[in-house]
Parts: sequence; structure tokens; C-alpha cells
Amino acid sequence: MRTKNVVHLVLILGLLSVLNLTYAQDTPEVSEEGKEVYEESCAHCHGIEGRGDGSAAENLLPRPRDFTRGLYKIRSTESGQLPTDQDLFDIITIGMPGSSMPGWETSLSANDRWEVVAYIKTFYDGFKESETPPRQISLEGKIPYSEDSVEIGKVLYTQFACFECHGNLGRGDGTSAPTLQDEWGFKSWPANLTQSWNYRGGNGIDDIYKRFIGGIAGSAMPMFEDPAFGLTIEQSKRYNELDSKVEMTESEEEEYNQLDEKMGNAYEILDLMADGDATEEQKQIYDTAMKAFNVKSWHLANYVKSLSPEKQPEPAIGKNVLRSQYTINELPEIADAAWETLESSYFPLVGQIIVEPRQFNPTIDSVNVKSFYNDTEVVFLFTWDDRTHNTEVEEDEDTGTTFEDAIAIQFPVKVPKGPTAEKPYFLWGGRKAVYLWQWKASDADKVTELTAKGINNAEAQEVQGDIQAKSEYTDGQYKLWVKRALKTDDKKDLQLESGVFVPIAFSAWDGANGDVDTKRVISSWYSFVLEPVPSSRRFIYPPLVALLSFGLLVGLRQFVRQRNT
Amino acid sequence: MKRVSLFTICFVIFIISWVFLEFVMGGVISKPIPSSVISMYMALILIAILVHVSVEDTRFREFLRPIHETLVDENRHVRRIVLAVLIPLLMLGYTYSNLAQKANPPGDPRDAHPSPPLELTYKDEVIGSMQTVENPHRHYEKDDPEKFKSHVENGRRVYYQNCFYCHGDHLDGQGHFADALNPLPANFQDPGIIPNFQESFFFWRISKGGPGLPASGTPWNSAMPIWEDHLTKEEIWDVILFLSDYTGYPYRTFGEGH
Repeated sequence: MRTKNVVHLVLILGLLSVLNLTYAQDTPEVSEEGKEVYEESCAHCHGIEGRGDGSAAENLLPRPRDFTRGLYKIRSTESGQLPTDQDLFDIITIGMPGSSMPGWETSLSANDRWEVVAYIKTFYDGFKESETPPRQISLEGKIPYSEDSVEIGKVLYTQFACFECHGNLGRGDGTSAPTLQDEWGFKSWPANLTQSWNYRGGNGIDDIYKRFIGGIAGSAMPMFEDPAFGLTIEQSKRYNELDSKVEMTESEEEEYNQLDEKMGNAYEILDLMADGDATEEQKQIYDTAMKAFNVKSWHLANYVKSLSPEKQPEPAIGKNVLRSQYTINELPEIADAAWETLESSYFPLVGQIIVEPRQFNPTIDSVNVKSFYNDTEVVFLFTWDDRTHNTEVEEDEDTGTTFEDAIAIQFPVKVPKGPTAEKPYFLWGGRKAVYLWQWKASDADKVTELTAKGINNAEAQEVQGDIQAKSEYTDGQYKLWVKRALKTDDKKDLQLESGVFVPIAFSAWDGANGDVDTKRVISSWYSFVLEPVPSSRRFIYPPLVALLSFGLLVGLRQFVRQRNT
Repeated sequence: MKRVSLFTICFVIFIISWVFLEFVMGGVISKPIPSSVISMYMALILIAILVHVSVEDTRFREFLRPIHETLVDENRHVRRIVLAVLIPLLMLGYTYSNLAQKANPPGDPRDAHPSPPLELTYKDEVIGSMQTVENPHRHYEKDDPEKFKSHVENGRRVYYQNCFYCHGDHLDGQGHFADALNPLPANFQDPGIIPNFQESFFFWRISKGGPGLPASGTPWNSAMPIWEDHLTKEEIWDVILFLSDYTGYPYRTFGEGH
């Protein structure tokens, strides 16, 4: 009985997968409908002729894809190959996370999406000309995720020089990050690998692996090269070991030369393979080299996977509201281990597109905040990712003018009382003033108090209070530590009180992204609270209540018994 | 089989009601129910149960029987001890969790529909009365469909150059800038938005943005820009045409002949 069911299930699943496969290959003929859907839903970004030059394109980065060159970033196919129809369908369905391309699953029927796939293929003749289907990337030999594999991947991350663009810890802060351009000459920032929710083609290990093997066509990461192609991980480790030796013994020298030759051979064969001139023997050497390369890529994929949490943190609203924790101890310094004991509150930031000049393509996407307070002072730790460390205004022919990095933390001057009270305008105030802490990278251990009544109407306070600040920039991340007294004598300052929810908002500037003045990233109002110390009554009342209820039960029993007799 | 006692029935009804209010009802109306409302309902249910069991003397005695037995019967010894431990423990836990609760952020009571001013203006220029101004490009829909289409197309351009960052590619309020905003940008696919307002109302909200909201019904906390600073009158009217053309929802109209 049971086996029969299993057989049924297998049959059904098998049938489903076959159906899915045929459906995938069965892309409809190009139709008027596909054109119509494209022009209604896609053309405003991708352009009527598919050149990626729709009316909205200019203010988008990454730019909308130009379909006329057949270069597709997210494919399940090998390097240099066109995508499969299913690849195109999936991108339309899921979208490109972290870019302005949304998923269309809810607003276009599956049929419409297939029609669009057929239509966008007409923009590139290569689709018509190719007779054989594109070669799919094989996932054979997948190495399961493990600590060991991650360790190996970490070494390979350095060997493959991934850090040059993606930075030491993967925050996209490598030294070449500011200079990268895509195939069309547009700015191309390397991915921040610590934000897996923004990986365009998904954050599964298989997805990451496919990006390595297939490359991300048209981007600054089109191909993925192994500097030790032809060698296994052990061999390349040995090769590097020998390479760094000042003096080699004779046998070592021989070993070194052998490895060197092996590598040279593999590279040569790579060219022969591309021309189709390789002999059987050479093909075998190639296969072995590719296998070693795939093994490395799996380890590397596992390492990249380890760099990021699975999901984007929840924004600091509702239950996640930023709570400053009371401590009887000294407030922690910037590098104190005490910070590790707190959960971060996550505040997403977006481009300021209200007042000119505007920022349509922000590079800073969030700030994380932690806070402690004691009876007299409060301390905050603000952490945000910024791929570049800009401490001054710089003119550069290649990258344009860069400005200094900065952040400002905004509070109302007076906390609005009652649920219907209006907060000051979220963009640096209006009729009602806001109180700001502004930090700039050029003066890294200082915070200036501002009062503002509008984004272009801010002034440093004449009386600067006693605010301590320290900051750090390491591996693509800023840390800013700010400490202030809860109460001050200055009427223009915010006064803090335990248990009161205080509106808080942020502005941040990435100088390398051209951020200056109103061109910046912003948030709307959130709130934070100095979390009241839990009352000590919580240890006194509950036992009393328990005792009382027990007493009542006993009393009730006595009462009933007496009445019975 | 033993009959289920009246007390057990009442007890089960009470628990089911609580579970329903606490965990189910919130999902049905897709809003959490305030705890004070739940307490009120539970009190009503308790009173209803007590009234029901106490109208007849025999029924009341039947209701009390299990309590009575548990309290004094010799062969209910185990149950008595278990309850004598369990009830005080529950009370202990309940009081503790109430006292140890974290501070609750203030809710944001928000009037979804601000009342518009009497006069519709663009910058300082008076366009007319909020009640009667119509979209000057609307009549092309009948008179000159080609021209109407070109206005919708212009509206589409305006939308994707300015609005879609927040209001989204699908006009559903889920643009790629939306997640930093609180409240979230308006969702034009919501059937309660476009059909409830005249085009003049939309013109007002677009041209004056968050800062143009009235002094009553606060806090608005709207991040909507003042679009008359960036867009021409024609562009605003065109984007209004586009919103309804894309979503398929007609705007609210007044008077005859619409």
C-alpha cells in the first residue's frame, strides 16, 4: 500500500517536472501580445527598441538591461553563452533584487511573461542564429556547505583576488571598487557580499556557483579567472609555498617547475579548446583542470554564502523599535565587548529625491544602531557600510568629483506629546525645528550640534554642548560612537527621559557617489526609547499574588467543608 | 460513557472564545486586537456564562458540583493538589510577565483621507474650486482617443521618472525606495484609493505633497514631495490620467453625465 503511494508520488513528480520542462522550452512564437505587454510594462525602462534607454533609465543604476547585445547577467548557462528561455522567464518573474527591476509574478500572468521572453529575444539576432541550445552549467560535484569548505573558500577568495573589488570582508570596498564600469561605460559597484538579499540572481549556493562559472555578462565581473588554473587546491597551495621560498632545494625546484609547467599547459589548452583544435589527450587534461576549477568554485561559493545573513533585517519599527539599554556600569567605549550583547536596530535608507539636487542611485542602504544609557548619559553606536573612505573633496578625471562621507542623526527639539501631535517635517524640519548631530569624515572624532528648519536651512548651534564622538573605518564599514548627557542646559537641545519614545531619523552621504548637501540618503521618522529599568516590584508582587491565590483556595475549601457539616 | 459536566462545557467555551479573540480574529480582520478589547469581550462572555448557569437552581448546583467535588471529595486528592500548585504558579507567571513588559511605542492613529482645501491651486495660481475642477485632458478620452493616448504616455513617462521609486513599478506602493518610509507610499492598486477621490483631489495631493496636508488629522508623517516644484501642471494632470489608465480604476466623479 505504502510503496504504491510512493510510486504514485514519484510518477506525479516526474510528470510535473517533464511538464515544466516542456513548458519552459515551449516559448510561444513572437506575437503582437508580447509586444503590447512589453511596451506597457517594460519599455519605460528598457526602451521601445530594447536598448535599455527608456525614459526612466537615466536615473537608474544599475541601468536597465540593453537587450540588443545578448549580454545577460543572470544565466544558468556557461560563460559566453546566451541565457535559456527559462532564465529570462525567471528574471522577469523574480526580478533583480537590489536593483529597480521588480518581480512581475503578481502583475503579469505566466503567459504574458512567456510572451515577453519571446519578444525581448527579437532584440538580439544571436538568439535566432544559434542552432544549438546554450550549454547549461552542470552542478555535478557540488561540495556541501561546511566549516571546512568555508575555510578553504576563504583562502581561495584571496588567491583569486576577489578582495580587489569585493573587499577583505566582502563589503564591496575593494581598492578598485570606485573605478569599475560595465560594458556600456556606466558605473558598476561591486556587490556587497554581506547583503545576500541583494544578490541579483538569488543567494542559494547553487546560484552563487553559477555566477562564478557563467560570469555576470556585461558587468565588471564578466569572467572568472583562476590564477592557478590546472592545479588542484593542494597543488596551488604547494606552488605558492614554494614560490615564496628564498632558496629551493633541487627536488623542490623540480617540483616547482613541474607545477608551473602543468599550469602553463592548462592555459595553452584553454585556447586550443576555444578554437576546437585540442587533441584527445589535451581534452583530458582540460577536463581534469576544469574539475579542479569547479571544486574551487564550490568552496568559494560556500565561503561567499558564509559572509551574509540569509535575510534582510526587519526595520526598527513596532517590536523592533530601537531600545537604549540601561546599565549601572560605565557606558561602553567604541570597541567595548559590551556592544556585542545588544541586538542591532536596522534603519533602511533611500535616496533623497524631494529637493534638488537629488540622489536617485544611493550607495548607502541602511544604518544599524545600538545604544546604552545610565543615570546621566546616553551612548549610541551607529554602523553603516560605505565602499569608499572619503575624507575630503577630491577632483578626479576618471571618477569625477568625490566629496567627504558624513552622517547626521536627527531628533525633534521637543518630543511631540500625545499620539496626534505633529512631528517636525522629516526632511530636516520645517515650521518645527529639528536638532541634529552631524558627523563628517574629515573631522572623524567630532559631532557638531545643528538646529534646522528645513533641508537648506540648518545652522551649527552657537553653543556646542559636551558631546563626545569617536569613529572608525575598516573594511568598508563606518562605526560612529556618540555620547551625550541625558539633560543639557541648552534650550535648543533635545532633552532625554527614560520611557519616552523619541522620534529619530537619519541622513548619510557617500562622497564617492557624489553625495553632498541635499544629495544624500535619508530615512523618514523612526523612534527610540531609553528602555525603563524593569521595576524591582517584579520580584516582590508575583510571589505575593501566588501566595494569596493559594490562600484563597485553601480558604474556599475550608468554607465549603464547614458548610457541608 | 460519562457525561461531560456543565462546568467542563463552560470552561471549554471560555477557552475557545479566548483563543479565537487572541489568535484568530486578528488574522480575520488583518489587524491585531487591543488587549483591552479582548479583556472586555472575555468579561462579557464570563458574565453570560454565569447568567446562563445561575438562572435555574438545579443547573447552578450541577455547575458547581465539580468545583465542590474537587475542593472536598476524598477521592479527588490528586487533582486538588495539582490545582493547588498550578493555579498559584499561573498567577505568579502572569503577574511577572505583566510587570516585566517593555515600554510600548505610541500607536500612530492616522486619518487616511485628509480633507482638501476649498480651492485648487498650482503654486500660487488658482485653478478653481476643488469640487468642480476637472482634468483638462480627460475629455480627449472621447473627443480624440489618439491625443488622449499621447497624454497617458506622457503621464507614464512622468510616473517612471519621478514616482515609481516609491509607488513602485506595479503602482502598488512597493517601489525600491518604499522600505525606508513610514507610512508606506500609497498603493494605487488598492480599490479604496482611486475610486474614492476626484482627479482634483489627486492634483492637490501631488502638487502640494506631505507639507501641504491640513493641520487637522495629524500626524501625517508623509514623505510625499511637493511636486509642483518639479512638474508642470500638464505633467501632473497627465500622470493622473496614467494612474487610472494603468490600474483600470476610474476616479470618483460628481454630477450628471459622468
